[in-house]
Amino acid sequence: MIVQADILKVFLYLGAALSTGIASLSAGYGEGFAAAHTARAMMRQPNANNNLTRTMLISQAIVESGAIFALVISMLLLFGGFTSRETDWAKAFSLLGAGLAIGLGCTGPNFGSGYSAGMAIDGIARNPSKSGRITANMLIGQAITESGTIFSLVISLLLLYTVPAQMEDPTLMKIIVKSCAYLTAGLVIGIGTFGPGAGIGYVAGKANISISKHSKDQGLITRTMFLGAAVSESTAIYALVVAFLLIFVS
Amino acid sequence: MDPNTTQILASGIAKGAAFLGAGICMGIGALGPGVGEGYVAGKACEGVARSPEQAGLITRTMLIGQAVSESTGIYSLVIALLLIFTTS
Repeated sequence: MIVQADILKVFLYLGAALSTGIASLSAGYGEGFAAAHTARAMMRQPNANNNLTRTMLISQAIVESGAIFALVISMLLLFGGFTSRETDWAKAFSLLGAGLAIGLGCTGPNFGSGYSAGMAIDGIARNPSKSGRITANMLIGQAITESGTIFSLVISLLLLYTVPAQMEDPTLMKIIVKSCAYLTAGLVIGIGTFGPGAGIGYVAGKANISISKHSKDQGLITRTMFLGAAVSESTAIYALVVAFLLIFVS
Repeated sequence: MDPNTTQILASGIAKGAAFLGAGICMGIGALGPGVGEGYVAGKACEGVARSPEQAGLITRTMLIGQAVSESTGIYSLVIALLLIFTTS
């Protein structure tokens, strides 16, 4: 059940392309959303341009992190030496799954982080004196949002490095089942983190704008944000559990 | 193909399709609850900011709404686990 070297390259190249391609789409949108809101905020509060620019750059760096993870996985797929060993079909599908996991997986978190950043910048434009508090809350919210990206990165790395190049006593049945399981592990964490990522981003964005309006209730708002984000995160954790089961138990 | 190989191929494809189904079920099933619960929590943040004295009531309503919204996510998890463990 050894995959021909040229066929293995199809999996590697497709995985690398999908990983960075899909990730860049959402990262570009998120950063653009933050920058567009910054431009509008500058118009309203030209005097706060230092704070606005700083917050925009910090938030864009965080949104970018998902795309950077995807780039790293792409580079590993292309130059990680996976073509040098003889590989069976299950490993080939796990390489494609690794690309899909991080590519799809940072989509939702990037949209969410971008929304959170845009709302934080709107908040600073409304109330520049509270920019420190708003930025702090934005960073907390984005950190929770990005957890989906980290889950995807974990699954990608597991698929790249813990799946053996050739399984012991391969049978036709085992190869087919394992191939499906590894490809699906990438898909489940990739699609599964979209909803929680976008949802938590919405929570964090609304919390940022609420703090700018009523900054004396910041503790209460941050607490509500944490509670809501934790419940919203649960479905991402279900997806992570299913991905682990598919990799290790199947 | 001899009948034995066909039999192995068929059962392999069936189990593989069960795994694929489990992943797609949990993946897409997580989309709705995630977005919906996030929307609830975002609106709750706005509500708490506007009338902080009602924070307890708003948080309670938020949690009830999220619990109902979560149910479809749990259905997806159950179906995914059934597909992984009970199919052969």
